[in-house]
Amino acid sequence: MKRQATLWRIGSYAALLLAVALVLFPIYWMAITSLKLPREIYRTPALWPHVLTLNNYRLLLDEKDFLDNIRNSVVVAGAVTVISLIVSSLAAYSMVRFRTRFRGLIGRLILFAYLTPTSLLFIPLSILMSRLQLGNSLYGLVLVYLTFSLPLSTWLLQGYFRSVPRSLEEQGMIDGLTRLGALLRIVLPLSGPGLAAVAIFTFTGAWNELLLALVLITSESARTAPLGLNYLITSDVLPWGPLMAGAVLSSLPLMILYFIAQRFMVQGMTTGSVKG
Amino acid sequence: MSLAVSRRSPWSAGTSQARFAYALVLPVVLLLAGLVAYPFFYAIFVSFTDRVVGNDGQWIGLANFRYLAQSPAFAAAIWNTIVLVVSSDVLKLGIGLALALLVNQRLPGRGLFRSALMLPWAMPAFVAFLTWRVIYQPIGGGLNLVLTGTGLWPDVVDWLGQRSTAMPAVVAASVWRGFPFWFISILAALQTIPVELYEAARVDGASAWQRFWAVTFPSIRPVVIVTALLSSIWTANSFENVWLLTQGGPSDATIVFPVLAYFGMQTQRIGEAAAVSVAMLPVLAILVFAGTAMMQRGEDE
Repeated sequence: MKRQATLWRIGSYAALLLAVALVLFPIYWMAITSLKLPREIYRTPALWPHVLTLNNYRLLLDEKDFLDNIRNSVVVAGAVTVISLIVSSLAAYSMVRFRTRFRGLIGRLILFAYLTPTSLLFIPLSILMSRLQLGNSLYGLVLVYLTFSLPLSTWLLQGYFRSVPRSLEEQGMIDGLTRLGALLRIVLPLSGPGLAAVAIFTFTGAWNELLLALVLITSESARTAPLGLNYLITSDVLPWGPLMAGAVLSSLPLMILYFIAQRFMVQGMTTGSVKG
Repeated sequence: MSLAVSRRSPWSAGTSQARFAYALVLPVVLLLAGLVAYPFFYAIFVSFTDRVVGNDGQWIGLANFRYLAQSPAFAAAIWNTIVLVVSSDVLKLGIGLALALLVNQRLPGRGLFRSALMLPWAMPAFVAFLTWRVIYQPIGGGLNLVLTGTGLWPDVVDWLGQRSTAMPAVVAASVWRGFPFWFISILAALQTIPVELYEAARVDGASAWQRFWAVTFPSIRPVVIVTALLSSIWTANSFENVWLLTQGGPSDATIVFPVLAYFGMQTQRIGEAAAVSVAMLPVLAILVFAGTAMMQRGEDE
């Protein structure tokens, strides 16, 4: 019996280590390819390169203006996050605290919007944006990204707000706070970790989006990071080195964010069913 | 809970109260009406027209759909979408469940394993699929290097370039990126099962297998159903995986609805492109309505 338990434990570790190796290998390959010289990528491919170089990064930043793409991504994702958080906090608060007649209907609209995929909306949205003269602009991109960020953040924030006890708010209102004051001074500060998680999810969602950007953005100067890398592979030469350098640069900020906020995010993801 | 009739509770909706409540949700409702509901119905309308870029087109009834019904690319998209959704969701469930059960044991270092296994999810999807594109390359790719180096497979394979391996390659990359969502959802559900239940089952003489079916499985079933539903919607509509790996090729071997619709946009036949995305609406609508109902029920409980 004891021996069986030990064997089971060894087996568990072996299976977990194998899974971790399979998870880490692509990440290793991304990092190592970004640091390789062309000859170690193409001519004599190696699992361990002999020479490490930052040449791919220089090429990407100097010749492909990748920093511009990153900057566009930061601007768009940042704007989407700020707008979503403000607008959704108000809506989520209303949904959680007031029993209005249309609450159920609005709740369904929000969930329905959350589950409606971009692939269904990108054609009409591109027509709509060109009619609004927002076709090839970052403003237009921010607007269309609200289609997925608003439902997600409203849905998640409802969960966080619901866990703030009403008695605290009632106490604050007896002490002279208005209802909006109660939201700003009591509910929001107490939902801090929730707000952080929602901010990260919203930022990530906008940072990762490719299809709408591909359809809406036509000028090179307005390209976001995924778009810039997409056009690297659709050109004729296949520049794996610079491509992987771009991959590393686009994922570093998010991976760091993820490690800092891992606990809230896992919680938010499992309570709210969040797409990665 | 008894209803207080005499005293107006501060949370019941009086008129001014209701007005305030509506004012708070109004921005979200307006934005979603304009950016989701309106485009949703507009897409359906456009799919019945022969709209092209620069010309709004005319109502042509079901002509677009009739055309699609005869198009081999469309038939391929239906089949490929089914293959992609079913095989990647089954694999994500299997892998996610197995790993969640392993990590849920009282093993030293389990926190570290959990963090490491979540990494693919923390990576942006476009980064993940671009990386897999490089890994699958016959020249410069890591997979061939590992397989030939270890002797597991002697020949260099162009994984994305031939019909027989392109779809399995897309599925594998999608599973790599998507299993953490299943893993962490199931793990969270496992951690809510009281230990007493297992002890009681053990006292009754239940084997490990019986304990799984009697205690574990019923507890995680709701989570598995919701996750399967969401994952099916997302996988059926995922664009990045196929676009960045194969762009639907070779010769439509991996073409899926969103990529086909995007190609339609590129060739400027907007009515036809809209018809492609609207064609999957019946199935999608069932999934979305079921998902909405289940998530709302879970919320009200």
